[in-house]
Amino acid sequence: MKILIALLALAPAFAQTLVDQAKPADSTTDAAQAPAAGDNPVPVAEPWITGSIDFGYRFRTNLNGSSAAYQSIVDLSAGPRLLGVDFTIVDPKHRLFDSLSVRGSNWGGDPYNTAHVDAKKKGIYDFRFNYSNILYYNALPSYANPFAPGGFNQQWFDQYRKNISADLTLRPNKRIVPYFSFSRNAGSGTGISNYAQDATDTFPVATRLVDSTNNYRAGVRFEFNRLHITLEQGGTTFEDNDSAYDATPNTGDSTGAILGQTLVLNNLVQAYRIRAHSVYSKGLLSASPFSWLNVFGQFLYSEPKTDINYQDAATGNFVLLNSLLFYNGQTDLATGSAVGPHVSGTAGVEVRPFRRLRITGTWSTDGFHELAYSSLAAAFLAQPSSASVNTTTVLSPLLWVNDSRGEAMLFWDPLKMLTLRGGYRYEWGNATVPASEQSQTGLVESGKLSRQVALAGVNFHPAPKFYANVDYEGATTARAYFTTSLYNYTRLRARARYQVAPALSLQANFAVLDNQDPITGSQYDFLSRDNSLSVNWTPKGGKVFGLLAEYDRATISSSIDYILPQFLSPDVSTYHANAHIATSAVQVNIPPVKGVAAKLTLGGSLAIVNGTEASRYYEPLARLSIPAGKHVYWNTEWRWYGYSDQLFLYQGFQTHLFQTGLKLSR
Amino acid sequence: MHWPLPSGSVLTVPRSFQARGAVVVAAATLFTATLWGAQDKAGAPTPAPKDNKPAEYVGSDVCQGCHEDIFTAFQKNPHHEVETNKKYKYDGKACESCHGPGSKHAESADAADIRNPAKLKPSDADRDCLVCHLNKPTQVGRINGSHAKNEVACVACHSVHKNGPNGLVARKTAEVNQLCAGCHSDVWASFQQPYRHRLPEGAMSCVDCHNPHGSFLAHNLQTMDANEPGCFKCHGDLAGPFAFEHAPVKLDGCMACHMPHGSANVKMLTRNQVRFVCLECHSNLPTPTAASSPTIGSIPPAFHNLFAPQFQNCTVCHQKVHGSYVDRGLLR
Repeated sequence: MKILIALLALAPAFAQTLVDQAKPADSTTDAAQAPAAGDNPVPVAEPWITGSIDFGYRFRTNLNGSSAAYQSIVDLSAGPRLLGVDFTIVDPKHRLFDSLSVRGSNWGGDPYNTAHVDAKKKGIYDFRFNYSNILYYNALPSYANPFAPGGFNQQWFDQYRKNISADLTLRPNKRIVPYFSFSRNAGSGTGISNYAQDATDTFPVATRLVDSTNNYRAGVRFEFNRLHITLEQGGTTFEDNDSAYDATPNTGDSTGAILGQTLVLNNLVQAYRIRAHSVYSKGLLSASPFSWLNVFGQFLYSEPKTDINYQDAATGNFVLLNSLLFYNGQTDLATGSAVGPHVSGTAGVEVRPFRRLRITGTWSTDGFHELAYSSLAAAFLAQPSSASVNTTTVLSPLLWVNDSRGEAMLFWDPLKMLTLRGGYRYEWGNATVPASEQSQTGLVESGKLSRQVALAGVNFHPAPKFYANVDYEGATTARAYFTTSLYNYTRLRARARYQVAPALSLQANFAVLDNQDPITGSQYDFLSRDNSLSVNWTPKGGKVFGLLAEYDRATISSSIDYILPQFLSPDVSTYHANAHIATSAVQVNIPPVKGVAAKLTLGGSLAIVNGTEASRYYEPLARLSIPAGKHVYWNTEWRWYGYSDQLFLYQGFQTHLFQTGLKLSR
Repeated sequence: MHWPLPSGSVLTVPRSFQARGAVVVAAATLFTATLWGAQDKAGAPTPAPKDNKPAEYVGSDVCQGCHEDIFTAFQKNPHHEVETNKKYKYDGKACESCHGPGSKHAESADAADIRNPAKLKPSDADRDCLVCHLNKPTQVGRINGSHAKNEVACVACHSVHKNGPNGLVARKTAEVNQLCAGCHSDVWASFQQPYRHRLPEGAMSCVDCHNPHGSFLAHNLQTMDANEPGCFKCHGDLAGPFAFEHAPVKLDGCMACHMPHGSANVKMLTRNQVRFVCLECHSNLPTPTAASSPTIGSIPPAFHNLFAPQFQNCTVCHQKVHGSYVDRGLLR
């Protein structure tokens, strides 16, 4: 990555060299080039590089409250930062490239940073590179056992996930277009996982997380005026080398002794060695055989295979409760494999028999048929070796899913400003999945899907200043896979936009989802509403000030029956969230002082959530941008982050962030 | 309302149906009448020439005479390819590939004599774009996409005349997000909650997860490899196949347990505490008989003492909740 950054940094210099080399040729051939100017009227004085770079220094005040929560939610720290860089180089001689664009953001220690490179040469190639590195950090006590002894924060992890992708397309915009791609997703970090011992105790242990997925693919696109076909072949490799270890006596989170004995983990070594690979084939088709007919289709097939090797060795004092066996050591050795062929196909058609009528139809099917083999050999080593137990478990779990759906939709334009649509969708499928150890019905359990959905919509566009549309789905379900799946539901979404005046526009959104499951005995009842109103007001073209504001009110109400495990008594689990969310940005152009016209931006966001999980989250900001030269801005920003959780009070935090720096642009 | 039948009896239409019937008849009449429009072969028709002589193509150079600024900017526009590439059959006539033959407009300089896609109905304007862009891999899922169904015009996101080498649509993550939030303001509001994907920070953009042109997956989700949800592009370690799958991941997807845009709950869970997410399926309720409606997941029931803090977060022990390579109980 450092090499790449160095190359990117050198790219402008390289392009400068190109331009410098080009200058003599330009000067000597001005006369000859003159007639061609009409062919390519790019202004001669156009800069070879355009873009901006934004850098500065961030300060953070003392953090009040939970640093664990701050790191889990915000995690911005103090220090110098390259906040953003964005430049485009145009080579007027079109040598290695016509244009090269580079973008990057948040470098220098922020928990997420990105880089993008686009290079293209007309008719020759089109190259894109993306990089992102995003921190996944979680140390929230509420997500683990808040009373775990020893200060262990179970489920803590600090992991970076890096994504890299490179796509090279040859002969872009030609009829036959080959392309090649590579992408990599890798995670690495540390954390705390848990060594669970027979439901009696759980020992938090240090873990190291290492995994990576590489994807290689290549294909060719045939692009004709009335037909397009893409054929692609790809492959994936995956590695998971997670490990966990512990070398100090660890009593876990058991709250008391069992039969007078304290359970303890003295030593643990746990290692995964997972390897997977897959090849897949993809075919895409779109065609317009007639002016009134479009046809779409895709077919995909993959066959991923996973090879599993796992081992652990633990010493301490443990117990198997069902046999009341206390033992001092345990080793596990697991091997296995899983293979999951995945077939997916879709066909679609759009017919326009009349000018004001369109009919679309799609059918799709998706099936994955996983077969696995797992062998686990476990040895429990007791003090008198005669009491030691060796077990071997061999299982062949499978997961077999076939889902299909067919949809037909009719679009009718009774008026130029109005489109009505209606349709019907049928979804069906069946699934067989592994049953758990406690299952009374065998090794597998099955479910089916049968759902009928009515579809409707209205698009109303009476004037350029006004637009509204309504989307409706209503379904009845005979069978679904899970108690919380969509059953008898109504989903409605309405959206309207009105340009009140050239400087003022309003937009309103309304969405509701009402899902009820009276069928499976759980009495699942889910209702969510989301209403938002946004205003964009820029009087006098924003010369004095501009306002962008939005208010959103979202509510969720959900209840489902369950049986309290310890008393076997029926109970209802309810969840309510009533959120008020607002964002705004007011930009004020401050009157010039000694010829310097600064811009002040005030705004930010707030999220106030009441209900089962009541919390407050505020992110106000103020930003002052002062021109310090023809192409230089001095930017200063203040932000305040405040979070409070009314259920877990110890997770609240507040802090100020100040940031100041320069933005150079050309 | 009563309708006499040939048998001599009378069919009485219930009053509740009478009003609906009138609406249906009126709609059917309007529907039939409007169907008899001329077949539209290339978007909305070019305005009829006043002298009934069909307009002819005049070439982009003629357009340059009055629209110099657009013409000049267009030289670096990706659509300039139409001007030079014979594949599109409009070489030298790129302007008229969208605006239609311009001879009448060139003579009269009257805006009424030229087709302006910006003033067309979105679906008609889109047809201009789709003449060239329909047969591209990006459009294969188009008819399933909500943008096409709701007639969100191509030009709502793409600029046609824009100058510059970076294409005709926002590329920077912040600009992409701003563009999407312009309509999906309710979704953008979700990202203001504390637990969220890092869009407001500019680390991700909406199109990392959604394909705005349409997808065969619900919610216009991006796909990867063999139609896997795009979630696995970043969360590759959760893709499997595992020896012991957790069925909802494969059957209902990530959104069975997560609210991916943002949530007030840790891990963007659908409920504020882990056990309540799990108990929605592992509820201990009697499994419905196969004849009524079998569902998956009520087995195993939760049998731990959920009042004990150590059992209140199921994933402390069942940490491989997305699927396990080793353990049937998803413990390791």
